[in-house]
Amino acid sequence: MPSPVTVGVIANPASGRDIRRLTTYASVFPTAEKANMVVRLLAGLGVLGVDRVLTLRDRTGVAALLLRALDTHAAVAAQQRWPQVEFIEQPISDSVSDTHAGVTAMLKAGVELIAVLGGDGTHRAVAAHCGKVPLLTLSTGTNNAFPDLREATVAGLAGALVASGAVPAEVALMRNKRLVVRCVDGPNRGREEIALVDVCVSRQRFVGARAVSDPADIEALFLTFASPDGIGLSSIGGAWAPVERTASHGLHLRFARPGGVGAIGAIGVPIVAPIAPGRVERVFMRTCERFEVGVWMPLDTEHGTLAFDGEREIELERGDRYEIALDWDGPLTVDVERTLRYSASRQLVREVANVAAHHK
Amino acid sequence: MSVSSDLSKDELLKAYRMMRTIREFEERLHVEFATGEIPGFVHLYAGEEASAVGTMLHLNDADYVATTHRGHGHCIAKGVDVHGMMAEIYGRKTGVCHGKGGSMHIADLSKGMLGANGIVGAGGPLICGAALAAKYKKSGGVGVCFFGDGASNQGVIFESMNLASVWRLPAIFVAENNGYAEATSSTWSVATDNIADRASGFGMPGVIVDGFDFFAVHEALGEAIERARHGGGPTLVEVKFSRYFGHFEGDAQTYRAPGEVQKLRDEKDCLKRFEERVVRAEMLSADQLRGVDAEVKTLIDSAMTQAKAAPLPTAEDLLSDVYVSYP
Repeated sequence: MPSPVTVGVIANPASGRDIRRLTTYASVFPTAEKANMVVRLLAGLGVLGVDRVLTLRDRTGVAALLLRALDTHAAVAAQQRWPQVEFIEQPISDSVSDTHAGVTAMLKAGVELIAVLGGDGTHRAVAAHCGKVPLLTLSTGTNNAFPDLREATVAGLAGALVASGAVPAEVALMRNKRLVVRCVDGPNRGREEIALVDVCVSRQRFVGARAVSDPADIEALFLTFASPDGIGLSSIGGAWAPVERTASHGLHLRFARPGGVGAIGAIGVPIVAPIAPGRVERVFMRTCERFEVGVWMPLDTEHGTLAFDGEREIELERGDRYEIALDWDGPLTVDVERTLRYSASRQLVREVANVAAHHK
Repeated sequence: MSVSSDLSKDELLKAYRMMRTIREFEERLHVEFATGEIPGFVHLYAGEEASAVGTMLHLNDADYVATTHRGHGHCIAKGVDVHGMMAEIYGRKTGVCHGKGGSMHIADLSKGMLGANGIVGAGGPLICGAALAAKYKKSGGVGVCFFGDGASNQGVIFESMNLASVWRLPAIFVAENNGYAEATSSTWSVATDNIADRASGFGMPGVIVDGFDFFAVHEALGEAIERARHGGGPTLVEVKFSRYFGHFEGDAQTYRAPGEVQKLRDEKDCLKRFEERVVRAEMLSADQLRGVDAEVKTLIDSAMTQAKAAPLPTAEDLLSDVYVSYP
């Protein structure tokens, strides 16, 4: 008997509630809607042959609402095939380590794919541990650059086609770039962090409420890609020199301090960009250069913080020397449109759905 | 609009002194309460200092605060005299309320402290009133209502948040979610789990902040308070953390996991975290902080000694402070 097709689902219970609700007009994505999104994903996955879904428990109600929806489904719509849902047994710490441990457990359980519901930060946390297992990215909100903002049912269909092998990996998956920051000297030597979209050298001294809200705080920015229609810090690059996700390079931008001593701001090029939902801000750019793959560049800064995908993470310490590089070792992600286009050209959905129905 | 989290050395020192004063005050009360000398109940704030201090550093005497039964920390951070507070808790005539209020009714209007409160959720309407007055008089002041996860389920808090939003009051609702309403876990009693999620139902922003991290609280509350001051209306901020002591002194805490509190003290002490970061950033030295520790200890020793030696109210005092005479 073939082993069941298994997909992991990570829905970050904490996403969408940070200070950006206050400093910007970022959307609030309630717990109930996250659970509902998982349900829609299950519908897409189940109909095309995913047998089993592994997901995480939490203390904020996503899992509880999902259980309720599973009961309802079993009672009133059992003829629509959903995967069997199992919860991974692990302690809940209400922190990002829940995601890290959950991904590790999913890999051990042999998942074909991990569907991620969250923002850039959630995807970054999963990407740090997912290895070669591809991600099906779903944005819970409008404030994200990395994950797709699309209907979960449709994503579930594409995810199932990938997980079951109906659409070959070379068609369905794309490799992403990532930024790696490592500490090569000083008290934090050996520390390493990754980012999927941007690394920001922030002038804020402490991590604080994490988000980079004030354009005046941005000292430098490294980007894996910069969409001209993106939102967030990468939109600054997108407004000046757009870079595709598939491009062989990234971007490195440096900024002047507006209104600083000697009006340094005057020497920068003013750029207007949507750095957050409802916040179109002006920054003064000093330089904008290609950032090539495989080149370790020192981060010349003594004070401040390093932010990864929009969230301050590292407080710089005297003596710490950090370097940054761009590589192609980011996660594999499902190209939903290309997967479904391929499927349509071969009428795969009809065939796979028939097989799945008989399998049941 | 953005509030910088870059604090000066003086501000950082002030923040540390406030947090250390609260911790020392509460740890000492924990010891002294066991002797039976203190009348009534006390509910200690130790472990939660970052919330009170991270908020209060943005306020001045024209801003009003209403707090809870666990109010010592908010009072100290709002500038209420520590000697007067200790005397009040001991029921002495020299207390800030002449010894007739005790732990749960410490108030000092001159400092904008509308009082600790024995009624769960009662701070909501008080702060709506204070915020309405500030708006009406164009004083630029704000009102901050602290309440707990237990109060987050009370109708009076819902009504207050609704009113604050409808009238667009300069009010900030700080939900201090320490995980337990008396002995009931908030994960069981709060239907939405995240109290902040309720904000959208009242038409205001809601954010969650790590209450063990002074800098996170300071930044988030700074944004909320600035927003209120500039006519942006109310905000709900949920501060997630936990308390070191029981609901009240004498609470056996059988509802907590073995080792839970020790783990908190070891891994999530807001004071230790603060020290690690300011020393690492070379903003303050460990020696400076030890100096503050010594000064604070002397202050609390003195407050305790004076409180114990102070006279109790007399029978005649029962008839004073009962009515207010308006001019």
